[in-house]
Amino acid sequence: METILLKNIQNPNSADIAEYKKAGGYASIRKALGMEPQQVIDEVKKAGLRGRGGAGFPVAMKWTFASADPKFPKYLLCNADEGEPGTFKDRPILEKNPHLLIEGMIISGHALKAEYGYIYLRGEYPAAKHILNAAIQQAYDTNLLGENILGKGITFHLAVHQGAGAYICGEETALIESLEGDKGQPRIKPPFPVNVGVFSKPTVVNNVETLSNLPYIIEVGGETYAKIGTPDCPGPKIFCISGHVEKPGIYELPMGTKLRDIIYTHCGGIKGGKKLKAVIPGGISTPVLPPDKIDCPMDFVNMPKHGSMLGSGAVIVMDESVCLVKVCHRALKFFEHESCGKCTPCREGTGWLRAILGRIENGEGMEGDIDTMLAVSANMLGKTFCPLGDGAASVVQNFIKHFRPEFEEHIRAKKCVVNG
Amino acid sequence: MITITINDREIKLEKPVSVLEAARSAGIKIPTLCYHEQLERYGGCRLCLVEVEKMPRLQTACTLMVADGMVVRTETEQIADVRRGILEFLLINHPLDCPYCDKAGECDLQDLVEKYGPGKGRFKEKKRKVPESLQDPVIVRNMDRCIMCTRCVRMCEGLQGASAIAVINRGGHSHIEPFSSGRFDCEYCGNCVSVCPVGAIMSRLHRHSYRPWQVKEQYETVCPYCGVGCTVVTQVRDDVIKRVIPKLGSTVNNGMLCSRGRFGYEFVGSKDRLSVPLIRKNGALAEATWEEAITLVAKKLGNIKSTYGSDAVAGMASPRCTNEDNYVLQKFLRVAVGTNNVDTTARTGFAGAQSFIENIFGQGATANIISGLANSDTVMVIGGDPTTVNPILGLQIRACARRGGQVMTVGEFEGLRIFSPTKLLPRQFTETFLLEGIVTALREKKGLSGANAPLEGKIKSINVTAADVAAKSGVSEKQLAAYVDLLAAATTFSIVIGKETVQSIGGSYKLLLLAAITYLANGRVYLLSEKANEQGALDMGCAPDMLPGYRPVAYPEFTKKYGAVWHAELSEKPGLNLFEMIEAAEKGTLRAMYVMGENPVCNIPNSGRVEKAFKNLDFLIVQDIFLTETAKLADVVLPALGWGEKDGTFTNMERRIQRVKKSVQREGMEDWKIVAEIAKNMGYRMDYTKAEEVFHEIAKVSPLYRDLSYEDIEKGENIYPYKGEPLRDVKEDIQIDTSAVSAAAGKLYLKVERPLFHSGTMSTHAASLMNIYPHAVARIGAGRAKMLSLTEGDVVTVRSKAGALSLFIAIEKAGDDLSVTISNNFESKGAFRLADYTLDQVTKAPCIDAVEISIEKVTA
Repeated sequence: METILLKNIQNPNSADIAEYKKAGGYASIRKALGMEPQQVIDEVKKAGLRGRGGAGFPVAMKWTFASADPKFPKYLLCNADEGEPGTFKDRPILEKNPHLLIEGMIISGHALKAEYGYIYLRGEYPAAKHILNAAIQQAYDTNLLGENILGKGITFHLAVHQGAGAYICGEETALIESLEGDKGQPRIKPPFPVNVGVFSKPTVVNNVETLSNLPYIIEVGGETYAKIGTPDCPGPKIFCISGHVEKPGIYELPMGTKLRDIIYTHCGGIKGGKKLKAVIPGGISTPVLPPDKIDCPMDFVNMPKHGSMLGSGAVIVMDESVCLVKVCHRALKFFEHESCGKCTPCREGTGWLRAILGRIENGEGMEGDIDTMLAVSANMLGKTFCPLGDGAASVVQNFIKHFRPEFEEHIRAKKCVVNG
Repeated sequence: MITITINDREIKLEKPVSVLEAARSAGIKIPTLCYHEQLERYGGCRLCLVEVEKMPRLQTACTLMVADGMVVRTETEQIADVRRGILEFLLINHPLDCPYCDKAGECDLQDLVEKYGPGKGRFKEKKRKVPESLQDPVIVRNMDRCIMCTRCVRMCEGLQGASAIAVINRGGHSHIEPFSSGRFDCEYCGNCVSVCPVGAIMSRLHRHSYRPWQVKEQYETVCPYCGVGCTVVTQVRDDVIKRVIPKLGSTVNNGMLCSRGRFGYEFVGSKDRLSVPLIRKNGALAEATWEEAITLVAKKLGNIKSTYGSDAVAGMASPRCTNEDNYVLQKFLRVAVGTNNVDTTARTGFAGAQSFIENIFGQGATANIISGLANSDTVMVIGGDPTTVNPILGLQIRACARRGGQVMTVGEFEGLRIFSPTKLLPRQFTETFLLEGIVTALREKKGLSGANAPLEGKIKSINVTAADVAAKSGVSEKQLAAYVDLLAAATTFSIVIGKETVQSIGGSYKLLLLAAITYLANGRVYLLSEKANEQGALDMGCAPDMLPGYRPVAYPEFTKKYGAVWHAELSEKPGLNLFEMIEAAEKGTLRAMYVMGENPVCNIPNSGRVEKAFKNLDFLIVQDIFLTETAKLADVVLPALGWGEKDGTFTNMERRIQRVKKSVQREGMEDWKIVAEIAKNMGYRMDYTKAEEVFHEIAKVSPLYRDLSYEDIEKGENIYPYKGEPLRDVKEDIQIDTSAVSAAAGKLYLKVERPLFHSGTMSTHAASLMNIYPHAVARIGAGRAKMLSLTEGDVVTVRSKAGALSLFIAIEKAGDDLSVTISNNFESKGAFRLADYTLDQVTKAPCIDAVEISIEKVTA
């Protein structure tokens, strides 16, 4: 398939505006700025574009809400706080194709009548910060950003804001809090950011990959775009595959590509011909799948039907050498570390689960530990302030659901039964 | 009308509220921890989760707003499970040290676990441990008990506006820091203590000294400290005030207190209290019986009266004492002694400023509701930091800023700094020019309505150019114009005037200019009031020219009328005011003074002069709760019952009359009672048996308090003009004193600090307040300190024409290089020792803003 989002990234100078333009970049912008904002929104609606951050919310709907709010100024925030473990899909765009994102943001800004944009960049992406800043400067220098863009009377300012390393700031309201200079913790909803967002103004928060789809949608039109992928989830999707496959890496494939195909066709199968043990299909928060459940089309609509979620499209492949108690423990260490502490079940529950898993892994497991973990995660699930706690609880529930015997054997043997 | 259904009960609501509020209004209980009615909603504890039809997830009742047709369930099996689960989570790291936790018995967590919690826990891991912290002078922290509800943080930031604490780190490592440790922005208000639902943040003052259920008596009374008059509740065990807490919903302070109010009560049971009368014998004060003391006072006063005439005696009433005390003292002087020589320290600013403003706008012009300040769209502050002088009024200004109102200042006020007020900073002694500039520009913008001819006459005569103002004051034309634009745009304007303006050279002219601004911006005036009952003392006629209710003594119709009620012939000759008393004592024409509840040797500027004058008296009676500097000079010292030990009323700066209640039993007599005993001994009967009887008489005599009773006050009929009778409204010509002074290069001037933590006599005997601010210091700007090679903690001698003080210095990073700031709250170390003064010819307030001083390091 011809790549859309990762187009031209093999070119060593792909981040430069000249190279981007040479490959056809910034062509959509003239077209978009010639359209009425509502027309742009309509095209996106026809395209059926869904947010690529993990929740898959229809983009046109979010935009319509923000657009309908009478308050000005409006803000467009790009969520580049790519922190979900296993995920590195936005990074190639940020580092290799920054102008695609900038072009997408200018178009989106126009559609929303937003004159200010921020890219909230993950603290651990220092290289991307320099690349983005250089690219933004180039765009300002060529009148693609700033006042009266390309003489069309449209204003859009863009700046990069670097986060301080909190996973929770990928949650849009926590991102907004952080951007405003406060501690990154999710806000009460409603009001939603589309009405009361950053600086209490209507705000749209979209993921890097989402916004990068805009130039192509404008270029070919929503209807043509919608032919890619599945009917409910059109478009290309960047998958990032890590773990025990022959060819891990970043793959741009149509939405709905089967998980099995990703692992065995595109990534060349399990490394060293070993047996597949488990797959996490969409980043650490999405439910783990056993080998017999990987014939699922990878999109937002189908994955839940197969017991998991598309999430960020970060596929983590684990072969038979992996101790799943250890993986689960490691995941909970992450959630405990990243829990913001605002709500009781997440703050206390993640630490409790991590402590039990740590004991089991250290050979200090006790009878009843599994039941306690299930009870604790049930007390968390659906009771937390934001989805972070749900993610933590469902990781434990799904690992136990699919791999309970392994946990039981660890407790019984009082040691790791996979690697001794 | 919104209709929702909770647990199959239909509830109709006028306006959208949260599901929690809706449920509570219908008497349906939903447990909460992080929710607090005063604070911004948070939704963190998750204890109030409820089921809502058509919503897939459980919802927190505290954050979910009702919508028409909503169907909510709060008592299902699922919800019971959720509550058990959440409480189990909260307990896993909670130390469960209830047997020795002071919160036990009034702990929200304890109560909720008892009602909704799990029978036992399943947690087998290590608990989080945090050692107890006593780093803070008034708060004890046991942070392992903390449940991260963040009520304290939301209180500190959202209501108190101190922002001294926040959640540090995240997840299970979250903790609340840094409180004060003496270094940060903590205002020691203890409002975090009020809202902490567990035993994490508690007052150190009553640590391990009682259990909440041992409080058998508690009394709703009024704080003894400043003119705001906050409602406080004293909790008593074994005749000791164990704790002072605010009351949610109280009119003046609605659940908020400042450090003085909450932690300043320890003076009540202080071991330094006077308990027996003292009589000077052979030059030293010796213990005596009440009979000896009273007989001696009566005899001496009688002798002086018959030898030198009634006007050789004077009395000083007290803004610390109740209305009843003050009323009886002035009556005693007018009736038993026969003189109008009575005054209070309200004369040093509040009295003159108030009558000046009332003369322009009418009586009662300064009686504005404190809680209304927050609703003003524009507040201008000048002459004092309201957040330290009248802290709870200061909170209203902060709230105004937070609600998007304009807060504007002339001068820099630390307590408003983080609220970024629009401020003008004129050069020293140029405030008048700046105010003239504001009045001129504002008049040009707004025009004159013709409503107040005398004031407009004055306004018309003020004409300065912005360029001239800029040249003199250093405030640019642009800044001035922007400031005036904001004033002109105000629709609900308030102005807050502090003592520094009143006590400055040309003070009455400045007051006129401020009145002009108020008039042009159609606003209200608030006069900061440092003492609890300044207003009341004035209302009671503790003034040389006014009878109770502001009836002039010079009008025979009034003296006759009052005389008839008091069965005496009253003098029509106005008496001596505070400063005239000092002069008369110096000259020897004043022979005796009766000082009640006041410490003039500390509290009147140029206190060295006051001391000398008092030593010149033939006979000095001091009636107080401590052996003050003034009491040490007395011939007779009479110990009185103090706040917390007696009944009565205070009238606050809003002119709200409030009941002060006896909380503890102490042997002794109230001030009024002592005075009445002396009166009796002098042959004038005062047969009051309790404070209420005194109040009955006040209500009979004073047209201001006409027909009021304690029951009326308790019922809330305590707001000016009470039962509808306004004060007399005699407008006189507006007189002003336009004295001016200009800054001399290189000179240092005295500034008076009005600290948050002290009032003087009471606060310096409150151990906790002394821990926060233990002794007088000279605050000096970093630049000047460097110039003089001074470092923090050096001892310096500060000298003026009036006297000298040796003090530790404290270096203020942001301090200016033109002044040294010293408080006047510590005996013998007060700023007033240095403050020689001139009097404003109109307000009669002492002007102490141009006291030149020098400073030198004391080498050991």
